[in-house]
Amino acid sequence: MEQIASLQILLSALVLSSVYVLVALGLNLVYGTMRLLNVAHGDLMMLGGYVAYWSLVLLGIGTLGSMFGAAALGALLGFILYQFLLRRFLSNSRFAQRLESNSMIIFFGLSIIVQNLMSLAFTADPRSYNYMNGIVDLGHVRVEASRLVVLVVGVAAATSLVLFFRYSRLGLAARALIQQKDAAALVGIDANRINLIVFCLGFGLAGLAGALVSMTEAITPFGGFQYTIAAFVIIILGGLGNLWGGIVGGVLLAFIEIYGSALTSTAYRSIIVYGVFVAVLCLRPQGLLGKRIA
Amino acid sequence: MKRLIKRICQVVMAGLLLTSSAIAADSVKVGVGIAQTGFLAPTAEPILNAYKLWAKQLNDKGGLDVAGERRPIELVVYDDQSDFSKEAAIYEKLITDDKVDLLLSPYTTAAHLAVVGVLERYQFPMVGSTASSEQLKQIKPGNIWFPSPTMPSQIATEYAKLLKAQGVKSAAMAVLQTPYSLETAGLLRQTLKEQGIELLVDESYDFSTKDLTAIVSKIKASGAEAVIALTLPGDAILYMKAAREQDLLAPYQFLLIGPTGDWFQKMFGNDLDGILTAGHWSPAQAKWPKAKTFYDDYVAAYGMSPDYLDVVLSWISAEITEQAVAVAGLDKGKLREVISTHTFDTINGPIKFDGVQNATTPVMFLQLQGSTPQIVWPTDLATGQLKTKGPWAK
Repeated sequence: MEQIASLQILLSALVLSSVYVLVALGLNLVYGTMRLLNVAHGDLMMLGGYVAYWSLVLLGIGTLGSMFGAAALGALLGFILYQFLLRRFLSNSRFAQRLESNSMIIFFGLSIIVQNLMSLAFTADPRSYNYMNGIVDLGHVRVEASRLVVLVVGVAAATSLVLFFRYSRLGLAARALIQQKDAAALVGIDANRINLIVFCLGFGLAGLAGALVSMTEAITPFGGFQYTIAAFVIIILGGLGNLWGGIVGGVLLAFIEIYGSALTSTAYRSIIVYGVFVAVLCLRPQGLLGKRIA
Repeated sequence: MKRLIKRICQVVMAGLLLTSSAIAADSVKVGVGIAQTGFLAPTAEPILNAYKLWAKQLNDKGGLDVAGERRPIELVVYDDQSDFSKEAAIYEKLITDDKVDLLLSPYTTAAHLAVVGVLERYQFPMVGSTASSEQLKQIKPGNIWFPSPTMPSQIATEYAKLLKAQGVKSAAMAVLQTPYSLETAGLLRQTLKEQGIELLVDESYDFSTKDLTAIVSKIKASGAEAVIALTLPGDAILYMKAAREQDLLAPYQFLLIGPTGDWFQKMFGNDLDGILTAGHWSPAQAKWPKAKTFYDDYVAAYGMSPDYLDVVLSWISAEITEQAVAVAGLDKGKLREVISTHTFDTINGPIKFDGVQNATTPVMFLQLQGSTPQIVWPTDLATGQLKTKGPWAK
């Protein structure tokens, strides 16, 4: 029971929440606006991780700086993919009829290509580096500086995104598109432009998440799959396409994982996590904050 | 002019064809199936690098000594995509379709077990490498041998002895739920009890665990003198981070697999000082003169130090194959007999098999001192003095 009151455990749960929220946000954006199932999400994260690694090793630029580069590269990839491939498919009515399954196949292909390109370019050797790994003493709690950065950046990114979608014109337009695509077009919202921006944002967030994760784990070309799975669990748990759902889902998953293990045993971690996941879906098939389909 | 150029090209092509045919006819084809893609690729790649270095070094010397005749090596490599179910088919293809002369072993115990049947069916001897499980003892002597001394039973017995010799009375264990770690954990529970060491914490966790704070918190609260974390590299990182954050100061902290990886040392630097790990090799061991040469060659070729476990085992398997072929040639029956009966001079000292097992190399424990792994147990092979884990670096 002492574990519940432990500030160390609480901080770990918050850091893990930040990782999960960052991982899920990008995926949720892309699915929410375009109903595209990006199963290459984790691989894009690894690419962001490599940007951080090589920036430090070759240029001496730490992750605090290179994470913006990682996000920019992710966004650029998103731009290229959307403009030269997806836009054509989305305008094809036959493709659009089976959008989710078709997109899964496309992104699966992208995943394989990205993994193998990274392997050819960087080899499959794990890459790790030593950056901001000093211990920060916060009174009763000690934490690695890099994990603190993950927490702060995760909170900042989630907050920025929420504010963007709530108060900016682009954000409001994107929300209108999510709610009613046809009606949004009728009132003059350029769906293509909004889709492109959101797509780049989603990919950029994946790159950012990968750069941050690279501070705490080794990066390999094939290490993204576990994050893709975690991201899908979170966005389904929270409600597909719902930004707040992704945030709540990420926090909930992290807290269940950390406290469930602390109170029982880490041996039951997967049972508890997926047990709660299934239970939530049985009670609310649309996810915690998703809209019920009539 | 055009006709002249065409004629020259034809002559050059014919020459190249003849030359390559000549090389192909003389070369020794050595086949291997290994993960080049998928989740095992990061840890399998250094092993393939070891095989490639071995082939290159021999080819630079004129080739493999086949009972007195030097012949170049041609590696035939297939990607098993980290899928053990493909292994048997790959090795069958290597034998029947590619008609390789020799085989090098795949990566991981499961992959080795997958090919045993194929080797028996075709009576094709192969020296194993990265396989370690009590299940291997049930394999009848035939066409496969296992040089790894890091068997779960040996680790459990010897580590309990090491702790007892240091006067340790209590331990805590954290176990990754993989076959090797679980096997070792089961045996450790018995051997620790036999040595009078009380197990205060006994936790396990699965592959997808992202944070070990809760476990390390329990371990710290227990006050155990020895921590035994039966890890693979990925979760070894999680342990190190949690242990640093919570300032876990247990005098003996053991990570099963991870610390001898070059990238792991780069990540943790001086924090690894005092961490114990399983192994059986060190380039610092003067009794094995070839060890340092291999280490230096690998670093020169790949810009990183070799892992002290899997890469070394793979090199040893290639060395044994090479020395057996020098005596027996490529005849499978003779090779089988030589591998079964001879003593081989390897980078890990002399190796001789008793049945399928390495009968000469004991399991050892290494301790990172600074960031260099030193053998600290058994004491007669030690290259460094065992010490307690000091404070974590700030």
